[in-house]
Amino acid sequence: MVAPADDGQKRLPSQEKLLLDYLRRLEEHKSGRHAVHLKLSNLKSYNRRDHHVRAAVNSFESLIKELQGQIFILENSDLFFFFKKEVLIQVETIIQKVRFLFSDDPLLENENEDEVIEGFTAWYDADKQFEEILKLIQGLVNVKEQRKNHARARMDTRAALKARQREGEPLTPEVLAKVETALERADLSNLVRRQFICRIDSQMIPEQAFSEMFISISDLRETMIPGVNLVSNRWLFQHLTESLDLRMLSLLSKTDTFTISGDISFNANVATLLSPEFQDFDDNISAAKRGSMIVELQKVDMFSDLGAYLFAREYMQDKGYRVCIDGMTHKTLPLIERERLGADLVKLVWHPEMVDGGEDMQEHIRAMVKRANPARVILCRVDNREAIDFGHSIGINMFQGHYVESLIAEDNRRRELLKLKRRMERAAQEAAEFGEL
Amino acid sequence: MADTGSLITFSGNEVSIEETLLLNRLRSLKSGHKGYYVVHMHLSKLRPGNRKPHFIKIATRNFEELLANFNVTLYRLSTDDIVLLCKDVPVEEIDPIIHKTRQLFSEDPLTDGEDGSLDDKFTTWYDFSNQADLSSFIETANELTVKALQQKKKPDENRPMNALPGARLDPMSTAEIRLKLQRVNMEDLIDEQTCIVVYPEEKGKIMFREKFVSMRALQKRVAPEVNLFGSPWLFLYLTETVDRRLLAIVSQGNFASLKNHISLNLNISSVLGREFQHFHQSVGDYTNKVVIEFQLIDVFSDMNAYANARDMLQDNGYRVLIDGLSPLSLQFFDPALLLADLIKISWGQEFENDDAEDRVEDMRNVVKGMGKDNVILARTDSEFAVKWALSLGITRFQGFYIDNLVTVMQLKGII
Repeated sequence: MVAPADDGQKRLPSQEKLLLDYLRRLEEHKSGRHAVHLKLSNLKSYNRRDHHVRAAVNSFESLIKELQGQIFILENSDLFFFFKKEVLIQVETIIQKVRFLFSDDPLLENENEDEVIEGFTAWYDADKQFEEILKLIQGLVNVKEQRKNHARARMDTRAALKARQREGEPLTPEVLAKVETALERADLSNLVRRQFICRIDSQMIPEQAFSEMFISISDLRETMIPGVNLVSNRWLFQHLTESLDLRMLSLLSKTDTFTISGDISFNANVATLLSPEFQDFDDNISAAKRGSMIVELQKVDMFSDLGAYLFAREYMQDKGYRVCIDGMTHKTLPLIERERLGADLVKLVWHPEMVDGGEDMQEHIRAMVKRANPARVILCRVDNREAIDFGHSIGINMFQGHYVESLIAEDNRRRELLKLKRRMERAAQEAAEFGEL
Repeated sequence: MADTGSLITFSGNEVSIEETLLLNRLRSLKSGHKGYYVVHMHLSKLRPGNRKPHFIKIATRNFEELLANFNVTLYRLSTDDIVLLCKDVPVEEIDPIIHKTRQLFSEDPLTDGEDGSLDDKFTTWYDFSNQADLSSFIETANELTVKALQQKKKPDENRPMNALPGARLDPMSTAEIRLKLQRVNMEDLIDEQTCIVVYPEEKGKIMFREKFVSMRALQKRVAPEVNLFGSPWLFLYLTETVDRRLLAIVSQGNFASLKNHISLNLNISSVLGREFQHFHQSVGDYTNKVVIEFQLIDVFSDMNAYANARDMLQDNGYRVLIDGLSPLSLQFFDPALLLADLIKISWGQEFENDDAEDRVEDMRNVVKGMGKDNVILARTDSEFAVKWALSLGITRFQGFYIDNLVTVMQLKGII
């Protein structure tokens, strides 16, 4: 796991490193120095937001100004305060004050005072316990380093090789040129897939809201260029999506190709919506049809030219289309405000981490979704019941994904059975009536 | 018609067709102009980013139905202004379409005023049954024609990057250009731009020097006939190759004796690749002298890759900078959440004359959230820009105007 970019806190870079440097210097003149470790990381997340940590740090301000001590804020919000023995009493008073700040936290509400003290603070005499402090802090830093090294390892040659073996040769511009030329002539109607976005109630009964039409990238690859990984380079892939957009538009304008019932959504780049091809598409569909269509946009595309996005959004919404921001994750959702961007809907990609991250993570996501308006959020790539239960728990009612497809199939079976049952009942009744005659 | 103002005349095809048509039409209106009126939409005053040709084209299409059903002529002038000349058209028919057009540009300060209100800067109405209005519009038409002429003579320099001449970049040409980029001599195309910290009493300090490959010069060398900026995605793809070359060249330097800190603008994928490993070895213990810049769009395209790259860089002592922020993008997200060390905001015309309190407030919050010492104003092109930034607490600058300032400061020995 990398440091979540969404924890809402400004990390103070390399405080751990600074602390280590400080310790190395302290070794020379450690006599008469004490340290206290404030384990704010043991508090509930709602108690260690930026301003809480800052308030705790500020409590030490007067001592710091008098050069009686020095404070370090670790990435996990823990504080280390090093001070001269002479001010020990003052530090104890400050710690009491800080404890008071968090008195509503379960950690400090504990009846057992020993447990409270152990969970919240640790005191050290630098002279006698120097090695202990050093080890503790090195440990904290190492955990962080290991995490980063692990992240890095994924990008090395070995990983790249593995990816190539599994996913195929990386896409090159030469191959992209061939694919795009072939796309102009190819009949893609058999590569179009449809997936439903459903409202799902507590009985797990799906009700179709709309369906997304898309060209299956893996099938496209199989039919056109087996062995090439189309998504290996994001910029080349992004270019490819512009060609796919145009093919999708021409498929959508040939309504006889496949019968579309209900509202539908499709992916598009902003550039596509502002192209002459889209103008033609738009000219040929009725106003009512526009009202049943939703365009799904990617944030990278939107932010590559925000001015163009805002213009296109106005244009589309004015015509009656709806706009959906696709591919948001629990890490990117807090960054971008749906409402300010003026989109009608936003798709949030399901990830087990949303639940596994614990209570704090769940609470965080709930707040994010609330801000985006739960009625406008679709939880997508839902592949199990857990995802739907989680969605429900944070107010989301619309879902998309394999699991939703299976619920639809199940629902259809149930309806078929019900129909069959009614037919049999009717037949039995008719037979009975016939018998009476 | 001295009383209605005189129309200027031009010979030949000096002026674009639309202006000529409008002037001719006005000439024929000199007498019997009953029931005529004009709505002049000042699209030329939109911010450059909102004035792209395809936007104007789409905006113009709004009027098609009106043109088909009423006595209306639309002139799309070369300044991008739209003039509607109407005869006996009920104002209620015009209003909704003007409103719709205004909506399209609702993010632009030009449309801040309400339709028909005192501070409406988007449209001006002229009723020709009123002599004063007619004369005043004739004057305007003359001015617009002169402007069109001036604009025609302007060189390409002022055009936005993606409107440069040349064939649009496509996958085939991308493949060819990439091959050239791998071999071409690039060392002499590496340029520098200084980022400075300005202190009170005209003192300054160099924060870092950004080293970059001049893309315009590179285009001339490898693809004089292709507009590299024609496709944003393919251009970004090519920058990956440029990154590798740049890293290899900069790696040859001696970082121990490096006088000023440097910055490099890279793709996130480049930082996670082999060339960066070599670069890192060459930098050695001097990572604190190097700032790595990422583009916002790259960050958004893969947040996980960004978080990995950022953490790896920061843990090794580099500073991470997010480039490519605009006043517009800052209205939609808080850059402090990206946990970078520095951000660069590009100065643009859009800051000028923007006194909308909420937008200024947005900027103030951004500066506050990042910490004022971590915000750099880039593309600074005027003293006005510097003063504006200073008023928000920003003291770090980069740009053409700063380049001149640096030269002066160096001469005076204060930097």
